[in-house]
Amino acid sequence: MGTTASQLGKDLLSEYQELTFLTKQEILLAHKRFTELLTKDEKDLPNARVPMERILTLQELKSNPFRKRICNVFSTSEQKDGSLTFEDFLDLLSAFSDSATLEIKSHYAFRIFDFDDDGTLDCGDLEKLVNCLTGETDDTRLTAEEMRQLINNILEESDIDKDGTVNLSEFQHVISRSPDFVSSFKIVL
Amino acid sequence: MRRMSMFPGSDPSNLAFTEDAIRHEMENEEQNLVKKLVALSTRERIRDIRDLPMSCEEKKHIRSQVLAFKSAKQSRQFTCFTDCSENVSLFFRRCGYSIRSVRQTLELWQGIMKEIGGKFGTSVLSYFLFLKWLLMFNIFSFLVNFGFITIPLLVYDPLPSIPPNVSFRGLEILTGAGYFNYTVMYYGSYSNETLVGLVEYNMQLAYFFTIAVYMVLCGIALILSMASSFKTNYVLAAPASSGAWQLLCSWDFNITNERAVRQRKNNLRVQLKESLSEKAQRELLTLSEKLKHFGVYLGCWLLSTGLAVGCGASIYYLCQYEQQRAGDAAGRSLLREAETLLVPFVVSLMNLVVPLFYSLFYKFEHYSSQRRQIYALVVRNVLLRMSILAVLCYYWMNVVARTYSCWESVVGQALYRLVIFDFLFLMLGSFFGEFLSKVIGTTLLPSLGVPEFDIARNVLELIYAQTLAWIGIYFSPLLPAIQIVKFFILFYLKKVSLTQNCQPPRRTGRAAQMQTTFIALLFFPFFVGALSMVAYTAWRLTPSEQCGPFRGLNNTFSVVGVWMDDLEEIPGSQWVVWIYQNVIRSEIFYFLITLIILVIIYMFWQVTKGRKELICLLKQQIVNEGKDKSFLLDKLQNLQKSQPNKPKLKNQKRHTGRRSGTSALIQAMLARQQAQNEYDDGY
Repeated sequence: MGTTASQLGKDLLSEYQELTFLTKQEILLAHKRFTELLTKDEKDLPNARVPMERILTLQELKSNPFRKRICNVFSTSEQKDGSLTFEDFLDLLSAFSDSATLEIKSHYAFRIFDFDDDGTLDCGDLEKLVNCLTGETDDTRLTAEEMRQLINNILEESDIDKDGTVNLSEFQHVISRSPDFVSSFKIVL
Repeated sequence: MRRMSMFPGSDPSNLAFTEDAIRHEMENEEQNLVKKLVALSTRERIRDIRDLPMSCEEKKHIRSQVLAFKSAKQSRQFTCFTDCSENVSLFFRRCGYSIRSVRQTLELWQGIMKEIGGKFGTSVLSYFLFLKWLLMFNIFSFLVNFGFITIPLLVYDPLPSIPPNVSFRGLEILTGAGYFNYTVMYYGSYSNETLVGLVEYNMQLAYFFTIAVYMVLCGIALILSMASSFKTNYVLAAPASSGAWQLLCSWDFNITNERAVRQRKNNLRVQLKESLSEKAQRELLTLSEKLKHFGVYLGCWLLSTGLAVGCGASIYYLCQYEQQRAGDAAGRSLLREAETLLVPFVVSLMNLVVPLFYSLFYKFEHYSSQRRQIYALVVRNVLLRMSILAVLCYYWMNVVARTYSCWESVVGQALYRLVIFDFLFLMLGSFFGEFLSKVIGTTLLPSLGVPEFDIARNVLELIYAQTLAWIGIYFSPLLPAIQIVKFFILFYLKKVSLTQNCQPPRRTGRAAQMQTTFIALLFFPFFVGALSMVAYTAWRLTPSEQCGPFRGLNNTFSVVGVWMDDLEEIPGSQWVVWIYQNVIRSEIFYFLITLIILVIIYMFWQVTKGRKELICLLKQQIVNEGKDKSFLLDKLQNLQKSQPNKPKLKNQKRHTGRRSGTSALIQAMLARQQAQNEYDDGY
């Protein structure tokens, strides 16, 4: 794609419209916000990557407890450093947009919650997830006993095939039964 | 089927054949996907590609492959028609995109919504979305009424006939009487003639059909939105699961405010702990405690129902008293006019104070869950409002309709006053309710803390306000205009009050279900009540003889009969008359329709029952499959242990685990391969 970063070509724009759930305005806004993150030299490069630290300065992600996971999941970087190209950034916004389907949303939620990237949510993932949600410091964390009980409850509720972990389809089943998920799994620029 | 996921860095080179097998499998899967996509129509293909959970780059890859495949195919059998249809569909798609983006630009209050969502989360946001939805409803109804009823009248007769001794004095803005009485605001000023301009325009028919069609459209819109939100929020939702997952999935990615995030984390921790302890101590209640709780519930319910009934009764006596006063002191003095404000004042005061009293109840009641407590509060408030509105409607239809010469306008004025006072009290309510309790909470009694935004109470206030507008639509066709202004100001007022005075709600979760409940409430007692009130007025009551479009008729509905009589004389419109005589007016038709609907409902009910059984069976099957899987894995591991010369299984298993989202096929294949190896090694 030989477009300069400062402007999106018409064809590219319509291609993005076809491939993502975003509207024209949203893509243009995303592009504007993304180019603001680039440094002077990077602006001339096609396919510039913005490192994770700079992505996380975005107001929308800054205080999200899952911010690093989100970057890691959507990054296509070889080094797995969580850096995003513009297309990765669009993927992120598309998955979190209003019109994304439940399936897409639950798929990405699963990957965000899957901290060790092994394809299932096991006890370790669930523990990290709970810690992420309640706060990492010692005084906010649940006690070990509470954590054990909570994870037992979670598995009891969702582990349909009783293998001790929650896999993607089990997770999607759970998600489809919690109606608040779609409206809350949303980031709008 | 579309579960292909991407595997960044999946190249630890342990077992070459596995890698190959996997790569091969993945390529195969991709080819299958491409083939499937090629077979689809353009629109479906685009949707399917968009729905793939892959990165943009991979989607592009798939898309270019599909397009290449397609063009190769097409060059062989190129026809003008496919080319044309392709272009047309491309054109429509582009149109669709532009409509979507235009709609997004026109979206009202986008920035504010985002700000509220960022600070207070989705549940508070849902109140504002509801408010916006109602505002749209009112804009629509205003456009319909203004367009089909008021504009024709104004075009025909631009100056309302105001008597010379009536002038605008300012108090009218509150009372709606006096000067307003002679404008197009109320029913009374509409003419019953057929306006003859460029075309003939029958005002009677226009008035009747506009209101009727509007009410029907409202009903349909409500039923549709109710049904769709029922579908997503109730049918799929787990039946009352205490839901650790509910809490974990309820993290609000909208929230961007640092403080709000911290607060939400705290709340979530408390909720998680509560859900744990709740589960532990559920069955600890003794019989005497249960009896005590039951007694308290009974007492509270009796008290609240009694209060609602009492409010209704006192409103009725107040109305009667007011009418007596009106009969004693004739004349149009300013004081007389101001006295009419008594009833709306008392009604709005009751609506403000009694709910506050109700919310004190939950100091005594101990509901097992927050949700039941909210529902109890909602039901009590609904009872109160329904009883007040029912009494007012009864009074209007039975007393006002018999005493005043132009009674529709009198009812219209009463509704106007109620709407205005409701608005004033909403403003007062958010000042005293939220601002004062914030001041008290921060300075005088820090233990109370900053108030939360009470979504249930606020939504009920909106529903009540909308009901007034619906009832008033027949008596005062331009009431939606007032309602639009009211909701518009209310939006900003609530936004300011929220950001200045309130903190995010402590409890989250089930916001979507609450939303469904509110739409259902809006439909069921309130819209249906308003509809039946208007329908009763149109079918049963005699319109006033001196004013309004229906003067001289026995009831409003007979305007259709008159129209039919006219139509009979026009040749070529016999079929309309036939339909009217044999369908609309025949009981057999309605009887048959009812019968058919009952049969259909019964059939669907049976189908649902069957599906439920099927779901149980399938669940059982999944459990069995899981058992099989773990059994086979155990076997495999045992086999592995007995063969210490193959140390890489653990590694490999982890490696395949990564792909469990991809397809079970690969896993099975690997297991088979492994077993094969074991078997070979065994020999």
